[in-house]
Amino acid sequence: MTPLSPTDYDAIRLSLQVAVAATLLSLPFGFAVAYLVTFVKFRGKVLLEVFINMPLTLPPVVVGYFLLLLLGKHGWLGNLLNEAGIRLIFTLKAAVIASAIVGFPLLVRSLRICMEGIDPQLISASRTLGARWYDTLLSVILPLSVPGLTAGSSLMFARSLGEFGATIIVAGNIPGVTQTIPLAIYEYASSPTSENMALTLCLVSVAISIVVLFLHEMMAKKMAQRS
Amino acid sequence: MKNVIKITTTLVCLVLLATPVFAGDINLFVAASLKEVINELSDSFAKKNPGVKFVKNYGASGQLAKQIENGAPSDIFISANLEWMDYLKNKKLADVASIGTFTYNSLVFAGTPGKASSMQDLIKLERIAIGSPKSVPAGEYATEAFKKASLDKQLEKKLVMAKDVRECLMYVERGEVDGAFVYRTDALLAKQAKILFTVPQELYPRVTYPAALTIAGRKNKDAATFFTYLQGDEAKSVLAKYGFATR
Amino acid sequence: MHLYMTSHKSFGSFSLSTDFTVSGDRIGIFGTSGSGKSTLVSMLAGLTDPDSGEILLNGDCLFSSAKRVNLRPEQRRIAMVFQQHCLFPHLNVRNNLLYGFKRCPSELRTIDIDTLVAVLKLDGLLDRGVTNLSGGEKQRVALGRAILANPRLLLMDEPLSALDDALRFQIIPYLKSVSEKFDIPYLFISHSLLEMRLMTDTVLAFEKGTMTGQTTSDQLARNRMGLSSVGYINLLELGRSAPISGLFAYPWGASQLLLSSGSEQNESMAELSSKDIILFKHHPEAISARNLLECSVRSLFNSGRKVGVVMDCAGNTLIAEVVQDAVDELGITPGCTIYAAIKASAFRMLPN
Repeated sequence: MTPLSPTDYDAIRLSLQVAVAATLLSLPFGFAVAYLVTFVKFRGKVLLEVFINMPLTLPPVVVGYFLLLLLGKHGWLGNLLNEAGIRLIFTLKAAVIASAIVGFPLLVRSLRICMEGIDPQLISASRTLGARWYDTLLSVILPLSVPGLTAGSSLMFARSLGEFGATIIVAGNIPGVTQTIPLAIYEYASSPTSENMALTLCLVSVAISIVVLFLHEMMAKKMAQRS
Repeated sequence: MKNVIKITTTLVCLVLLATPVFAGDINLFVAASLKEVINELSDSFAKKNPGVKFVKNYGASGQLAKQIENGAPSDIFISANLEWMDYLKNKKLADVASIGTFTYNSLVFAGTPGKASSMQDLIKLERIAIGSPKSVPAGEYATEAFKKASLDKQLEKKLVMAKDVRECLMYVERGEVDGAFVYRTDALLAKQAKILFTVPQELYPRVTYPAALTIAGRKNKDAATFFTYLQGDEAKSVLAKYGFATR
Repeated sequence: MHLYMTSHKSFGSFSLSTDFTVSGDRIGIFGTSGSGKSTLVSMLAGLTDPDSGEILLNGDCLFSSAKRVNLRPEQRRIAMVFQQHCLFPHLNVRNNLLYGFKRCPSELRTIDIDTLVAVLKLDGLLDRGVTNLSGGEKQRVALGRAILANPRLLLMDEPLSALDDALRFQIIPYLKSVSEKFDIPYLFISHSLLEMRLMTDTVLAFEKGTMTGQTTSDQLARNRMGLSSVGYINLLELGRSAPISGLFAYPWGASQLLLSSGSEQNESMAELSSKDIILFKHHPEAISARNLLECSVRSLFNSGRKVGVVMDCAGNTLIAEVVQDAVDELGITPGCTIYAAIKASAFRMLPN
């Protein structure tokens, strides 16, 4: 087996960095959206659900392209950010955003399944005991959603580690800056002389995935036991 | 339940049999940058030779070579660089006698007009897209040119690596980068981006497209005829039309 | 407690209309499932909004479609005990108990935690998780949690129906004593006539979304006698028993009853169906039934196709049911003397 090069170590570090940041960034939003979809009645709920789940079915390349349209120099959000001196495209931040969007539906899904399992009478009980809606949210729904949060974020973490299609468009494939493990593997695999290097990195990513999915299964079991 | 199994089996069989290989077919494995040229040439060849059918597979040279290595049915392979042709030659999958140069391409810098007119001007730019040097030949040539021109250190931070040449051009067209190093032929297809300058030939090895019959293609008469046709005058004029150099 | 509620709510094919004023501290809402009881409770607690109407509790407006008032559940100070205990699984017993207490403004806190814990016998359980408590313990914690919120009204929505018979009668004394001791009026919702009679004074009866009457729980039982397959259930408060030749002798007021089953407990309660009482005009010479009571007829009432005979047995009340023909034949009229025969096996002891 070929030993890892410094850029490979960079790729591993960047991958972990992107996955952690994307997951942490998504947690509050994921929780809010799952709460909305599960507990709040409002018009256009189906639209929101479709919109949230879209990255699950869209090719990641399309997500990446939309992000480029949105955040690029001439995109309407990119324009504003540019004036504020913030540049996202071709930076690690763009990789984080791409991973967050692609993994978001997985987080929301896990959280929703968990929240739907919460007995609605617990929420009624909390309200009649004097808790306002946000108090109930924090003192009942949040603690009971912990299994969903952990399961969802582990799944999302794993998905972020593997994110390729959207990342390569908005973040580019810059070694040491935005090149994550899948991007590095792609580069190796398309050159006749460095196939062995690709194999080493593949094994690294297999190892990380196994650890993360193993944790995920443990969380899912815990959740099943509770209900 | 039984019906479901029946239907599923039938569907699976249909999918597996969807692309049967017939004797009159010519399987082309061609580097993506030659797509327009080969489409035009194969159409005109098919008109003159009714009964001949083309199965065309365009992609990155490396991917195509790997597919051939793994047994994909192929008669003719045209690569965008010598490396992958050598790879197949070493694996004894290309007919050595047939290997020859199909055409040449050249590296240009494409971008918004006015941004740069020579290699030295690049230092003033903010962001430059190139293909990932390890996987995209055009990117590899570009980095070589930087080194030869002693610009590599100054440009290092400005480079954005893209998956392929077309992605480089997409960044240029959308204004995300100031310019990109791409092949002349690709730059000619762009809508907004214009060729700002041609990279001096002494800075990088010549971009060569080698073509060969595969071992299987050697036995396919139609393929051999088409292979000869590719070296004829008609092919040369089509290549020239799209910006390729034949000499 | 004084409650005024006129409201309308419909969803799908079901609709519920209420229009009542009720006063008292032990009020029952009686009805079979599908009668709209749960919807009514939910509207009172503020968990479901009525389509229209007005709800006043002790003169305070909780809801009014005309005045556009709709207090949120946390503003109503109406606590609930649910059919399922609904304890928070992530909190221990202590924190479950304190959930409402902490959220109650300190000037309104009147209930002493230690006293409540003692009354509900929860002393040893405070640091336990709630998932491994027994069914009865869970319901006691749920009751304590609701009381500690210092509500002005306690809603008990079928709090006993998830428990088995033995537990049910264990919990009833807690329900009664806690609301009495801490002076909290309650609304008790149930489909069990027996629970109604044990827990409430005034009863609002509901059927298919409409209120069919406001009456006392005993009157309700009498009304339903002719419709019910078990008749009217007499509830007998018995004294300490003594075994006599294979039977148990229980003092019942000034008289004594012989029961085939029983135990040597201090005080107990027994059920006796109105159908299990046979009436004689004259003292029969010899009968197999072990209990023969001389009674005077107090009144008669009709219920369905049956006639209820209300009798006075040495100061205790007993109701027997007969058909009209029997009334005519025996010449039963208020004031006349009659003999009631009851088999020793006809009694059913309520679990204590």
